Amino acid sequence: MIAIDSIDVSVGGRKILHGVSMEAPAGKLTAIIGPNGSGKSTLLKALCRDYAYSGTIFLDGRDIATMSPVEIASLRAVLPQSSNLPFPFTVREVVAMGLTAGRPGVHPRALQHLPEEALARVDLAGFGARFYGELSGGEQQRVQLARVLCQVWEPVISGVPRYLFLDEPVSSLDIKHQLMIMDVAKSFARSGGGVIAVLHDLNLTALYADAITALREGQVVASGRPEAVLTDSVLEAVFDVPLKVGAAPRPGTPFVLPQSVQLTKSMQVA
Amino acid sequence: MAGTMTLPASNTLARPAGDRSHIGRITVIGLVFALLAAMVLSMTTGASGASAINLVGHWLGFGTDDAAVFKDYAVIVNIRMPRMILGVLIGAGLAVSGLLMQGLFRNPLADPGLVGVSSGAALGAVIIIVLGGTALAPFTTALGIWSLPAAAFGGGLLTTFVLYRVATRGGQTAIATMLLAGIAIGALAGAFSGVLTYIASENQLRDLTFWGMGSLAGATWIKVLAAGPIIFVALAAAGFLAKGLNAMTLGEATASHLGVPVQRFKRITIVAVAAATGASVAVSGGIGFVGIVVPHLLRLVIGPDHRYLLPASALLGATFLLFCDALSRTIVAPAELPIGIVTAAFGGPFFLWILLHRRSAFAW
Repeated sequence: MIAIDSIDVSVGGRKILHGVSMEAPAGKLTAIIGPNGSGKSTLLKALCRDYAYSGTIFLDGRDIATMSPVEIASLRAVLPQSSNLPFPFTVREVVAMGLTAGRPGVHPRALQHLPEEALARVDLAGFGARFYGELSGGEQQRVQLARVLCQVWEPVISGVPRYLFLDEPVSSLDIKHQLMIMDVAKSFARSGGGVIAVLHDLNLTALYADAITALREGQVVASGRPEAVLTDSVLEAVFDVPLKVGAAPRPGTPFVLPQSVQLTKSMQVA
Repeated sequence: MAGTMTLPASNTLARPAGDRSHIGRITVIGLVFALLAAMVLSMTTGASGASAINLVGHWLGFGTDDAAVFKDYAVIVNIRMPRMILGVLIGAGLAVSGLLMQGLFRNPLADPGLVGVSSGAALGAVIIIVLGGTALAPFTTALGIWSLPAAAFGGGLLTTFVLYRVATRGGQTAIATMLLAGIAIGALAGAFSGVLTYIASENQLRDLTFWGMGSLAGATWIKVLAAGPIIFVALAAAGFLAKGLNAMTLGEATASHLGVPVQRFKRITIVAVAAATGASVAVSGGIGFVGIVVPHLLRLVIGPDHRYLLPASALLGATFLLFCDALSRTIVAPAELPIGIVTAAFGGPFFLWILLHRRSAFAW
């Protein structure tokens, strides 16, 4: 369980987060939503100790401020929004960096091929020898996710859950890979690990999140199960747009929901 | 650098695609032999006709002419050997400090010589050369032969620290800011050195001129003793930074997420750079371009993995400097060129070549 207890964060003299509290239990995918500048990424950066904060953040009951970088790295991995590399690393070399101080939890013999397995999981099998700098933005984002997965490959090691912090993990991906990456995150949570993801797409959030925390102007507006947070009144309060949950557009106007993929799948099963 | 790098097709079943560690290992082993060859070259070339082979033969019991061997012994053991050892240490030190700075600043163009660190170290050395006998006599008396390298280390440390503070914001270093800050710091250090040169005596002036051009010519066992341990410790410390340097290429924040204690890592890196550069500058003056040419060439061959890049840079830096030194001794024999001129003659065009062939994809 990640427990954030009323933290304040100021960046460059401006207060971004005001007394934010939230919980993200192991075994669940917790989404953070909110408009631009609401403090989502700042909250994640405080969780990663990139920003100084006042208040306390607990990881399974321990104050993260008291933990060493290596210790934390063995318990949680972080997917950044974007990464450029100043040197010509191959894709495999980037993914293998996830093994720097992480604790994949696999047998040493399997470790050598873990980067390949991680690449396959993000649909990049066979990309190992390509140069990272020559991939598209979406491919680079998936390479980074493969690196992050290597760091905490097993969601649970001897009863201790591990965590994934994802900052807009699907922001530059096509719909197929959006679903694929969210499936990876979801299955990490299903296997007992914890996931905190900053998400922009409300439909993907509705489809995948077990719990949602909504931020506006650095404060928590609502948090709880998706059906409690994704309501007309909460969405209008958070995003300042009169949205209607579950309303279909006028007949004849095309609209495509990621949920329809599950619908097709279940129909095929039936 | 794609296109310049092709992975061998052999053994690909056992080796994952994109894993270049075997090239790194082979290169390091090859460079060990290259360095040994360069050491032999360094021991056997020189203005005097002294023959290292005769000397070894004499030790093995084949020698006949004792007087000639005694003269050769003096040349080889008192002149060539310390020169060779200094060449190895300084070449390795300069190449590794270049590599460390490139990793720290996440930029392949960072080099102690280009961004003012050498100028700062030189200022420290000039202060000791000019004021060591008078105003700073207590300091030089206390530190003895180590006062010059210690002062150069101090100057290098100060400039690296200032440069890092100025050029790096939130873990990101802007190349323009870094180079411009380097120019400003270098100019400032140069101005102070200029003032000191102005008040220097005739003899000090001559010392300063030859020292500033960069040379291994004045190598003595004293200098080996003064600079050697400092460079050696810096190189040994650098050996522990490889994984951290790899992680740092992803940015400071990500390196910390991967478990690198970033603040401590940066402090160690800055001190190692300043120590290696400072000690090198103190005994050999300004030898430029080793720190940029050597790591860059190696990145083309083995890729940017610092676990192999670090030892390979140390080995190739030492080999390159011994080779340039041998050239500087023979090109205009019996006189000799300052080695800084030789490395600049190789390094200047090479640097321009890098600029012409750089790829925007790598954010230079």
